[in-house]
This record gives sequence, structure tokens and C-alpha cells, in this order.
Amino acid sequence: MTDFYLRPALLSACLLLLVACSESPPVFHDTERPLRLSDWQLFAVDANEFIPSESSVVFRPSNPLFTDYAHKLRTLWIPQGLQAQIVDHEIDYPVGSVLSKTFYYPRSSSTTLTKVADNGLQKISLKENQLIETRLLVRKAYGWDAFPYVWNDEQTEAFLRVAGASKQVSLLDQGSREAIDFTYFVPNKNQCAGCHTTVHPDGDMHPLGAVFSQLNVSDRGIEASIISPLEQMIELGWISENENFPRSKSWQDTSAPLQDRALAYLDMQCGHCHNPEGAADTSGLILDNSQTPAINRGVCKPPVAAGGGAGDLRYAIVPGQPEESILLYRMRSDKPDEMMPELGRSLIHNEGVDLISRWIEEMTGAC
Amino acid sequence: MITKKKIVNFIGLASIFLLIVSCGQEDSIMLELSFEEKLQQRLIQAQPGDVINIPAGTHEITRSLSLNIPGVTIAGAGIDESILSFKNQVQGAEGLLVSANNFVIRDLAIEDTIGDALKINESNNVQVLRVRTEWTDGPLSENGAYGIYPVQSSNILIDEAVAIGASDAGIYVGQSSQIIVRNSRAEYNVAGIEIENSTFADVHDNVTTNNTGGILVFDLPNLPVQGGRNTRVYHNQISANNTSNFAPEGNIVASVPAGTGLMIMANDNIEVFENNFENNNSANILIVSYLINELPITDPNYDPYPEAIYLHDNYYAGGGESPDSEPLALLQAATGQALPDIIWDGMLSAGKTATDALCFSESFDTTFVSLDASNGFAQPAFDAAAHDCALPRLSAISMSKTGQ
Repeated sequence: MTDFYLRPALLSACLLLLVACSESPPVFHDTERPLRLSDWQLFAVDANEFIPSESSVVFRPSNPLFTDYAHKLRTLWIPQGLQAQIVDHEIDYPVGSVLSKTFYYPRSSSTTLTKVADNGLQKISLKENQLIETRLLVRKAYGWDAFPYVWNDEQTEAFLRVAGASKQVSLLDQGSREAIDFTYFVPNKNQCAGCHTTVHPDGDMHPLGAVFSQLNVSDRGIEASIISPLEQMIELGWISENENFPRSKSWQDTSAPLQDRALAYLDMQCGHCHNPEGAADTSGLILDNSQTPAINRGVCKPPVAAGGGAGDLRYAIVPGQPEESILLYRMRSDKPDEMMPELGRSLIHNEGVDLISRWIEEMTGAC
Repeated sequence: MITKKKIVNFIGLASIFLLIVSCGQEDSIMLELSFEEKLQQRLIQAQPGDVINIPAGTHEITRSLSLNIPGVTIAGAGIDESILSFKNQVQGAEGLLVSANNFVIRDLAIEDTIGDALKINESNNVQVLRVRTEWTDGPLSENGAYGIYPVQSSNILIDEAVAIGASDAGIYVGQSSQIIVRNSRAEYNVAGIEIENSTFADVHDNVTTNNTGGILVFDLPNLPVQGGRNTRVYHNQISANNTSNFAPEGNIVASVPAGTGLMIMANDNIEVFENNFENNNSANILIVSYLINELPITDPNYDPYPEAIYLHDNYYAGGGESPDSEPLALLQAATGQALPDIIWDGMLSAGKTATDALCFSESFDTTFVSLDASNGFAQPAFDAAAHDCALPRLSAISMSKTGQ
């Protein structure tokens, strides 16, 4: 007879489960720290696809950060009925907002991952891609908090790893047909703060991609037919309309002048630490968009505490001489004690190296 | 025939089973953490007031550790007992990176980090007690730059520390204020102890030997914190700092001549007393302007000249016998004698006199030279009369205990 009583309960539980799978919006976990990514209900994962919740906005920042050629699917979610405010010309997300960034690589076969350009998928085929990690930035009452989740090999679930993780990755370069073997590092929570705390050390963590200037461009570039994430947010009522949203320059915008592209690149890749209040202001090298004398931007600037990172060179930037410039030396290094940025990559970003190299090449002057 | 009822039952059972399996998985996630991961997790989840113990033994760490929570103590079982070995480090520019007020680290060693060993950035009220940072293969330019490295911090006590093998400075305090470095030993570093762009420091009762330079007090341009001044260097043993300079080129310490005891560059109000200077083969004491580096100065707020340097009651023996610097070697060749105990480059800010730069009251047989560096070392002067003066004593550093 227990069977008889059990059955309706099970039935309703299953109905709930079914509802949860298809309809439930993401959940804001305020006090607990879910060990499973699925507890946030930000994504549906079945055998074939990783699909962001319909309640989220999928976005690509216009000037993205380089992470070992990983592809990234980013989502932004604000709980129903809440709205972001505009404070000091920036988006102030309400408590409960969740930003996610899922890192993955496309496959060229069942065992090989490949290095190809990120075209910005809105959902991820799990047959054609391998999920690596999903990082959450969650807006709590005390500020933003970071939660790194690492996907299992079966791609059925990602688990919280506050101490980070590492993974051996072999990428097939589609151009050279050579394999690139490296250790991919999932940052620990403090390392998340290493980039997301731009005012060091007392400033709060804050988003780097989900900001006005980065959201104000459609994820297909400037094609007029596709609305920008910012316009989507306005349509959803998440923020109120404002004519004066800034738009960041992008290092990827090949139509922009070289100088603008180079400065946009340095701002995004380096400026979170190398700003007047950042963790790397100790070096006196300032690479964000702030006004700073040429020497503090690196021109003819001797290193301060670079150690081997100086590469036996005398100045951060020697105009016209990329080979003599420490800045480029550190971008071109993959040794942990020499390379810049210190975190977030194991591989050299060749496209960035090319850009900065050409920029230094075209500079005039001498040290 | 499978009825709908049975399917429902089966789904129900299956979901219960899944739940059990997944709960089991949670446990296994926790279990698979290595010592390193557990330690990093503890550092991330620490609460103010926590003491995180590092047990005796050698613990291999492969990625940078970091702490951002204030009021935490990391405590080992002894400077040679609890060892965090980074010999196989694969990630991170330092061993342990701390950005946290009211931080104490004691009784442990950090070995063979790929970059800096212990970096403490923008923290107030920091105590580093009986901590050893060491590169165990000896002085190599591949070694990390700094051993114990507080920067842009305040109220810093470094006591009974040991720093060996750094390719820049063993104990380096930069852009900081209210500093005590005492009872410590620095050996086989390029710079044993360096106080740079800092104010209000006491460096005393340390032993610096076998470094390239024993103790450096520097001020450099183009940094957010500069105007280094008010440092007392006293009761130190500064001997035989004759190790060849193994700093990577480009770094400012790469220009320090091997055989330097104490070097003061561009700092003001420095009191140096009751130290033992012995057998530093370039110079027991070298006092220079930043101009000696022949680097451009574009910083309008920067004062490259050392001023109000006061040396008294120091003991000197040997030294200056095989200088590792072209102008010093030429001077030695010209005089046919070991170089004097106190060497000043002789460069003066406009309107200042030799007395403004340097005073000393040492014993009668202490020797001195002013290098005349601004005139290409043309006329070195050995007469110390202009420097026969005394300056007001500097006060002792006392730590502010506000801890905020």
C-alpha cells in the first residue's frame, strides 16, 4: 500500500522536475555556495547541447580579453522585476544579478580540440565542442563574488573549485596543422579578483565585460540588423534608455587606426592591474585609458621590479624597436615569472603580439 | 507490458538513485583535493582571526598561493621544518601573494619560487617572523627577483627572517612606510636588504654577507610613491658582500658593483651607525645620486640627490680592494691602494654644499673619497673636512597598532 501513497508524490515531483527543466529561470543563491553549476539553473545541458536560459542575455564584449584561444559564451541575468541603476555613468547591477562566462574549445575530432576564431555561439553543441569551465560573477549585497566551476569530462555537470584547477589541453592549429600542448589554468577565486578588482586592494570586484562601453556593440560587430546586448537589456526593461552610452574601441576593429587598436588592447589586457589605482601601479607602468605621461605608458621607462621579466632589456618601450621593448618581451613570453598578463593565459597571443609590435615599430623617437 | 504506473515508479526510483549518486560525487570532489588545493581553499575561505597551520614537512606547491582576507596568521612549525617548495611551480609570478591587513606569517620557509617568494601588496600591519625565502641552487639569475617583498604597505615588521639567493633583493621593502627589518640574515642575493622609495625604516641587527650589495637604500623616479627618506641602518654586520652581480640586465640592482656593503641612492635623512663593515671589496659605503646610472630623468617631482646622510660610530675593516666598477677600478689603479671606506659620487643639487649631502663622525682613521662624478671622475678628493659635521639623530620607528 505504500506504493499507492508514494506514487502521487513521485508523480508531482517528476512534474516539478519537468517544469524545472523547461521553464525555470535562473536562481540567485545568496548565502549558500552551490557545488554544482546546475543549481543556478543558468543553462540547460542535455546530451547534445549547452543552452543558456531564455531569461538570460547572451553577449560578447566588443573588446574581449585573451584566454588561450578559448571560446567564450557569456550570459547576463537580472532577476525578474529588478532593474540595474546607472551610477557614475556605469551599470550598477541589482543584488541577485548573475554574469557567466563559459570557456570551451571546438573539436576537430572526438579527441582533438582546435584553435580557430571564436564566432560567438549562442548555444554550444556538445558534440562539436568541449566545455572547460564556467565562471560566475554574482552580485551579492556586499558586492560581486566569484565562483569558478569546472566541467567534468562527460560534460554533464560543472563543479565549484574555489581553489581553481588545471587541465592538459592539446589544440590543433588549423593553420599550421601543429598541435599546441599546454596546461589550461582555471583561476582560483582570488585570481578572479586579481583582474576584477581594478582598484587595489580595497575596491570591490566588478565586471569587465558587462559594462556600458563593452555591451554597446552587437555581437556580430556593427551589423545594423542585430541589436546590441545593451539594446536587449533596454528592451527587457533591465536598464532605462539613455542616449549617451559610451562605446569602447576594440583591438579587433581592423578599420580603426593602429594607435587606437593598440591602446584598446593594452587597456583590456593590462589596464585592470596597470592603472593608477591597480595592483600593478607599484611598477609605475600605466596601461589603461587614463591620462599619463609617456614614460609611465612605458616609453623609455626602466623596469622597477621586473626581475627576469626585463629580458635583459633596458626600457618597457623603445620607440621603433619592438625587439628592444620589455613590454613586447613579456607578451611574447610564456614563462610564469616573465609573462604578462601574469594570469589568464598559458599561451602567447600571437595576434596581440603582432598588433603591439607594429604599434611600437611605428613610434618615433629614441631613448 | 510496461504500464505508465511502472514508468513513473521507475523514474521516481531513478531520480532518487541519481540524487544518491550525485551526493556521493560531492564527497569525492572534496576528497580529491591535494594539500596545495586545500591550503589555497583555506586561504580563500579564511575568516579574520584564523590561524592557518602549515605542518612540518616539505609541501610541494605548483601554483601561486594568495590571501586577501585581513587578520589571518599563517603559521608553520619552524623556519626549517615547514617548507613550501615551489620547485615544480607552473603558474603564478610569486609563491604567496598577500593583499590583507593585519597579516602575520611565521615559522616557515618558501623555497624555489619561479618569481618572487612572498609578495605583500598594499597591506597595513604586517609581521613576517622567522620566515625563510630561499633559492636552493645558489645565486643564479634564473632565481626569482625578491624573497620577502612588501610593497605599498605600512607598519611592517620583518624579524628573524632569512633570505637567500634572490636575483634582485632578499628582503625588499618598496614604496612603504613604518618599517622594521631586524635580526635577519640575507645571504647570496644581489641585494641583501633593500629599502626603496620608502619612508621611516629601521634596519638593525641584521647580518648581510655574500650578497652583491649588503644593504641598499634607494629612491627611484616615475613611481607612485617616492621621496625615500628617514631610514636608520644600525648594529648590522655587513661583510664580504662580494658575490658577482647576477641580476638580469635592465633592473636597477644590475648596476650595483659586486663588493658593496651599503649603498645609498637618492635618499634623504639616512642615519647609519654602529655597523660593522668588513671586507666589501668595492666599497664599504657607497653614496650616489640617481644620475650615476646615466638614465634619463623625466619626472619633475623626483630629487635624484642624496641629502642629510649621517654616518657615525661605524667600524670598518678591509674592503675596497678589488672594485667591480670602472671608475672605482681606475681610482684604485691610480692610487695603488684599497679604496676608502666611504665613497660619495660628489654630485650636488644646485645651491647645496657637500655638508648638506653628507656628514660623518667616524673614528680618526676612516677614509673617504668624493669621486667628482659630474666631471667624469676627473678630480677625486680625499679630504673629508667638509663632512666633519653631525646631524640630529633620527627617532626610532614605532609601529602604529591601529591596524586599519
